[in-house]
Amino acid sequence: MLGWFALGALACSNTVGGTLPGQPSPAAGAGGTGMTTGGSAGTSMGGGGAGGALTCSSVSTGVAPLRLLTHIQYDNTVADLLGDTTHPSSQFPAENEVNGFTNNVAANQVNPRLVEAYQTAAESLAATAVASRLATLAPCATDEQNGDCGRDFIAAFGARAFRRALTTDEQTIFAKLFDATLSQGYPKAIELTLRAMLQSPQFLYRVDAVHAATPESGAMTLGPNEMASRLSYFLTNTTPDAALLQAAASNQLGTDAELETQARRLLETARAREMARDFVGQWLGLQRLDGAARQATDVTYGATELVPDWKDTLGKFLDDAMWNDGNVSALMTSPKLFLTPKLATLYGQAVPTDPNLPVTAGKERSGLLTQPAILALLAHSDQSAPVLRGVFVREKILCLQVDPPPPNVVVVPPMVDQTGTTRERFAQHTEQEACRGCHAALDGIGFGFERYDQLGRYREMENNQPVDDSGEVLDTLDPLLDGTFHGAVELAGRLANDAGVRDCIATQWYRYAMGRVEDSSDLCSLQQVKTRFSAGNGQFRDLLVGIVLSDGFRYRPAMETTP
Amino acid sequence: MSARRLNRRLFLRAASGMAVAVPLLPSLMARGQTAAPIRRFVTMYTPNGQIHSAWWPTGTDSAITLNEIHQPLVKHQSRLTLLKNVDLKSAAGGPGGPHQRGIGTLYTGQQLQDGEFVDGCGSRAGWANGISIDQAIAAQIGQSTPYASLELGVRATENDVQGRIAYSAAGAPLPPMLQPLDVYNRIFKDLVVPDQNGQMPPDPMLAERRSVLDTVGDQLAALETKVSSEDKQKLKAHLSLVRDVERRLSQVPLTCSKPNAPGALDPNSETDMPMIAQLEIDLLSIAFACDLARVASFEISTGLNRIRYPWLNSMGEGHPLSHMDPEDPDSHSQLVARAQWHAGLIARLFDNLAAISEGDATIADNTLLVWCTEVSEGNVHSHTNMPFLLMGGGWHFRTGRLVDAGVTDSATGQLKSASHVDLLVTLQNAMGVESETFGLPAFVTGPLQALA
Repeated sequence: MLGWFALGALACSNTVGGTLPGQPSPAAGAGGTGMTTGGSAGTSMGGGGAGGALTCSSVSTGVAPLRLLTHIQYDNTVADLLGDTTHPSSQFPAENEVNGFTNNVAANQVNPRLVEAYQTAAESLAATAVASRLATLAPCATDEQNGDCGRDFIAAFGARAFRRALTTDEQTIFAKLFDATLSQGYPKAIELTLRAMLQSPQFLYRVDAVHAATPESGAMTLGPNEMASRLSYFLTNTTPDAALLQAAASNQLGTDAELETQARRLLETARAREMARDFVGQWLGLQRLDGAARQATDVTYGATELVPDWKDTLGKFLDDAMWNDGNVSALMTSPKLFLTPKLATLYGQAVPTDPNLPVTAGKERSGLLTQPAILALLAHSDQSAPVLRGVFVREKILCLQVDPPPPNVVVVPPMVDQTGTTRERFAQHTEQEACRGCHAALDGIGFGFERYDQLGRYREMENNQPVDDSGEVLDTLDPLLDGTFHGAVELAGRLANDAGVRDCIATQWYRYAMGRVEDSSDLCSLQQVKTRFSAGNGQFRDLLVGIVLSDGFRYRPAMETTP
Repeated sequence: MSARRLNRRLFLRAASGMAVAVPLLPSLMARGQTAAPIRRFVTMYTPNGQIHSAWWPTGTDSAITLNEIHQPLVKHQSRLTLLKNVDLKSAAGGPGGPHQRGIGTLYTGQQLQDGEFVDGCGSRAGWANGISIDQAIAAQIGQSTPYASLELGVRATENDVQGRIAYSAAGAPLPPMLQPLDVYNRIFKDLVVPDQNGQMPPDPMLAERRSVLDTVGDQLAALETKVSSEDKQKLKAHLSLVRDVERRLSQVPLTCSKPNAPGALDPNSETDMPMIAQLEIDLLSIAFACDLARVASFEISTGLNRIRYPWLNSMGEGHPLSHMDPEDPDSHSQLVARAQWHAGLIARLFDNLAAISEGDATIADNTLLVWCTEVSEGNVHSHTNMPFLLMGGGWHFRTGRLVDAGVTDSATGQLKSASHVDLLVTLQNAMGVESETFGLPAFVTGPLQALA
């Protein structure tokens, strides 16, 4: 594993995660760190690298806080429960983001507007459901007025909504509302009950640990219902399907084999592909692309004009590389481009007859880093951004921390002029002694991408001068990565089979799965995941199964006694 | 309570179908006498400092000539207060980079928690470690209105510490609304208004919502006993928000007609940005007029933005632009133009509010707004001599002047600047919150002496 310690060689300033040593800071914890265990996220970035051998003798439990459904999970869940595909979460306040991840549990608590939005969404969902599909939702073959059908609905639909059977108390609470409303008619009573269900915490939060009658100690395996929810919400961002519920009911979610069977089944669903797209979007911070306006001397695109196209082409690339080819090597080197008509024109290709058929741009493109969406993301409005591209490769792809620039340094991209090349303008970074330490490692990578402009177009000339795309990878402490290269295609080839890249992707996906930045309690789980991912030669399905089988995913800490 | 009337269209539909806001007309709202004046409070934020050479007026006290940036506010000069030598002293410590520390402490007077939010330059921090001043004020004066406060934003799309100025508590930020249509839908769409005879029609939703929320409250309580103590706190916080929604059901304004719904705009679009900002100012004006809320925050973009202002012909990207030499002619003129445009939004708000009479005064006379940014000068990330601007508050301190908050030490002869937390104390005092402390104790001495 490549660790942040590698950056020590860069002679940058001295912060490496967290605060400066000796600098006081107020209450620890919130704002996105791990939640209930005391591990320091700052110590974990190296993932158990050179700082001494990791001993993993006992089960590591991870943490299991209440987790609000994320926006995408809310939408998928109501679609699966009610057939409603209106995406109510589009009206929810934006999710907070921790280093790209918007599913961070600690950073996403309820706020006044979210509670209101839950109310509004529940009202609309319930009204639509009762108006359009009452007979399927709450069938009643007997007398609607005697209350039995209402109780049947509460038990049956409630179990779907809460992802477990309701307790007697919970049933009684809903029955009280149902009975009080029944005089306004059966449909209205169902509607209000449904509204209350959709605003209940048992629906809105994933509850991993409803406590046992007696205090617990040690690492606890999740119960079958809780494990069904974890599997389903991690791999498919939605509520457990019938097969998972069945497996939970018959207690078949305990062994490695049982879990792997269910996980591999879920991974072949369309929702799993959507999950992977969502993960990549968060990992790479693709929401930064929203509102991107890009222009060059010959074309101008206004804000958001090309963004949907870029996202579309990237999504199809990801589906193909991560699921058809299925491995890291393909993700980093697949030369395919799935072009929309607009992008085909922009990139000088024939407009595809079938948008699902890629063109292969073997000499010009190689993998994720040369996808138009990524290149346009890592650009200024009027020029490419070698520094951003270098930072991106180091931070997102290699999980190396890039230190902040020293205080009062000017971070302005050079003014565009029509005579020189972008590289010449940015080269001043490395000409100044104060900047060279860091920028040699950033720009050295970024300059290798100079054959792609701010619109993601391939170019061999810039302002009538040949583009120099020679680059150099420095100070990764990985002899297979470090060294000079020519162009992003060559760099991608080097990254494709790199252990550090695999480990980094494993760490990022684990963060997504757990909804938090890893802490010291996760190191052993992470090692299990990385080992399996590597053993499978970087197959994504193996990675995801590996996360499911890791301690952090399967166990929770004991429940303290609550008064 | 007084009768409030707002019974004409406030939005005209343009041929394009997009809603266009028009300033409120004085005749739209005539209000009766009120027992005690209703006060309103607004925090406003714009990113990346100010160009100081275009910010500070010439002259002293009330004999000042406003500088370039404040030209849109000339007509409201008597309401304006500029403060010199106020520092964000509390931004000097704690986790985070200069933008993070600045925005975190600006309206909270606190420092940042540890955390994993990374600023563009690699520093890490969490949320601010305390309530913001608008929320402290809302806790006192916002409880009799349907919304204790409104959080509005324009392209404030960084959803981490750099994109939040309002906190209901330590580590509990309130996200701004970025889409005028969402603001409209939230506060006006379901508003039940009196019929032609001034009678309130029955609201069929009211009883339903009450009983549903009661049930939700019971389910929250049922779950609470079965989770860890930390999760229990989460559920308690959730329950109290459900109760807030419930409380709101019984607080419908006496008389207030709805404005027309604005069109849907793209919160990420640089071309929609001016319309979004103007609509939000207008919706806020109407919310104040209808007494739907008395406290608001207004946030334009965020520190590390790369936003252009094409309607001002300012095509630099926000954060990099702010790092240019402030006297470089091109970046200077772009940054001044942007700041002027921001000042123009304040002018628009006060134009709107000054057109609504309230007793013998107008709402503008009963409104206090504070505007600042998270670094003093964008190119050096300083936190000294912050460009604070106040509008209104004339009932509590003398306005229409430049106030030097610095104190010269009699022994050393050195100028000692004031902590901005003292200013926050003055603001809460002006709004009726009597406490003389706020934020981190180390950075507060009491109300700002220079404004006393």
